[in-house]
Amino acid sequence: MNIHELLTEETIFLPLETGTKETIIAQMTEGLKLSGSVTDAEQYVRDVLIREATGSTGIGFGVAIPHGKSSGVAKPGLALARLSEPTDWDSLDGTPVSIVFLIAVPQENVGNEHLKILVALSRKLIHDEFRESLLNASTKQELIDILKNM
Amino acid sequence: MKKLLAVTACPTGIAHTYMAAESLQKAAGEKNVPIKVETRGAIGIENELSAAEIAEAHAIIIAADTDVDEARFAGKPIVRVAVAQGIKIPGQLIDQALALQASTASAAPQGGSSIGSSERSENSFYKNLMNGVSHMLPLVVAGGLLIALSFFKLNPEEGTFFANLLQIGGAAMGLMVPILAAFIAFSIGGKPALAAGLVGGMLSKDLGAGFLGGILAGFLAGYIVRYLIKYIKLPKSMEGLKPLLIVPLLSVFIIGMLMIYVIGTPIKDLMDALTVWLQNIGSGNKILLGAILGGMMAIDMGGPFNKTAYTFAVGLLASGVYGPMAAVMAAGMTPPLGIWLATVLAPKKFTLEEREAGKAASILGLSFITEGAIPFGAADPLRIIPAFMIGSGLTGALSMVFDATLRAPHGGIFVLAVPNAIGQPMMYLLAIVVGTVVTALLVNLFKRNKPAIGVGTK
Repeated sequence: MNIHELLTEETIFLPLETGTKETIIAQMTEGLKLSGSVTDAEQYVRDVLIREATGSTGIGFGVAIPHGKSSGVAKPGLALARLSEPTDWDSLDGTPVSIVFLIAVPQENVGNEHLKILVALSRKLIHDEFRESLLNASTKQELIDILKNM
Repeated sequence: MKKLLAVTACPTGIAHTYMAAESLQKAAGEKNVPIKVETRGAIGIENELSAAEIAEAHAIIIAADTDVDEARFAGKPIVRVAVAQGIKIPGQLIDQALALQASTASAAPQGGSSIGSSERSENSFYKNLMNGVSHMLPLVVAGGLLIALSFFKLNPEEGTFFANLLQIGGAAMGLMVPILAAFIAFSIGGKPALAAGLVGGMLSKDLGAGFLGGILAGFLAGYIVRYLIKYIKLPKSMEGLKPLLIVPLLSVFIIGMLMIYVIGTPIKDLMDALTVWLQNIGSGNKILLGAILGGMMAIDMGGPFNKTAYTFAVGLLASGVYGPMAAVMAAGMTPPLGIWLATVLAPKKFTLEEREAGKAASILGLSFITEGAIPFGAADPLRIIPAFMIGSGLTGALSMVFDATLRAPHGGIFVLAVPNAIGQPMMYLLAIVVGTVVTALLVNLFKRNKPAIGVGTK
């Protein structure tokens, strides 16, 4: 299993012009649609925002991980955006967000391999060095390399 | 060193579950606190906490937005928060969990909250006990039923099918007490305690101390191992020897010596004294003798009292006295039969596993395999065994009153098929039925409504 199957050129936004939670998620979803992960963008965005309403996915330290398990998703996907400037995300620790990972998972459980990568990513995000390296990466390829070696 | 456990879970099971787990592990690492985190996410349950680990832990942190099967933590101090808090304030949660333990422990001696702490220790006592009982149960059921099947042909010739059945069943029954002791020890001391528990249980069986000796051996082994692990300090370079060599060697040696000298010798003396006592009562007072033999059959179901009563009755067969044998067999049948009837009369008082075991117990009872009742007696000895003893004592006394006789030393209900083996068969059956009903009613009267710790309920 390769990170390439989850994260592609189309789903990396470096940088992404910031806006509101909703516009950021909508823009990133377009990338996931291009990569073939999301098939019904409207449905998927709705599911992500429903999840967001139950509690912010701003996990602190400047990172947010909006995610949705949705019937609008055909295969697991991952989008990554570095925002043009720190943006409010109702984070747990109140800090504005600079990095957004948008995770798409199909309604029906598919191969665990994909899920395991997302799980590994979630765990990794807790560590400062990992987040630093994401913030400091200057090209898409560099970001992919960081995630590949995760 | 205080050990902590944690469980994390969230509805999607992709992100928060694992981030909370990672945060807790990271914070614990910085504080040098050992922690194990069970994650319940989209890829299933990982790092599942074992009964032994739960028993050993000082406190449990639950950072979850979904159900995490909390019943297994009964009696343990718990810090319960939303999963997000596990990510946000892991350090605080760990401090809180460590302090929780300290405050309840230090509060106990002041008397104020001593009820809470004694409840806790009672709960962990039953939890450890039930861990042994539930692992023993399959052996009792399989062994008992195979022995019962072998009774289709009493006294089969060696090497025949039925003799082999008896041998297989005997092997399973022989493992019963060692496994009981081993898994009590495991529940207390984890994997390192398994060896001492097994050996202690085996010695209990060999020394005739029965399942009560096995329970004692299990608890001793578990706590000995815990103590050894805690107090043996070795230089870093030799630390690896501790779990592989030092703890197993010392714990098995200590439990073995304790079983032989502290438990084995008194048991032998006890059995000798009981035999003399029974001989003195003799046939002078038939009813009293029947009641005493009956009670002895039920008190330890395979331990010294039971063995002495049985041996006494078998010994009398040679002198042509057949009454006590009848009383002993009838009294040995009523505990499992009574348990079966109790599960039928009040199914709500028993777990599903117990109700299933109750069905098997009926067949074991009919076959005079008293051990079928052990899982129930062992699970709650102070309440259940008195019920067994009263029912069995009554049956023993009735059997003597009715002048029932028995010329075979085993076989249960199947002896009826052997011509002239039983004298007064109808009255004999009546004695068994009365004892069964009384046992069942008393079990349900004494038994607590729901098992304290439902190891067998999940």
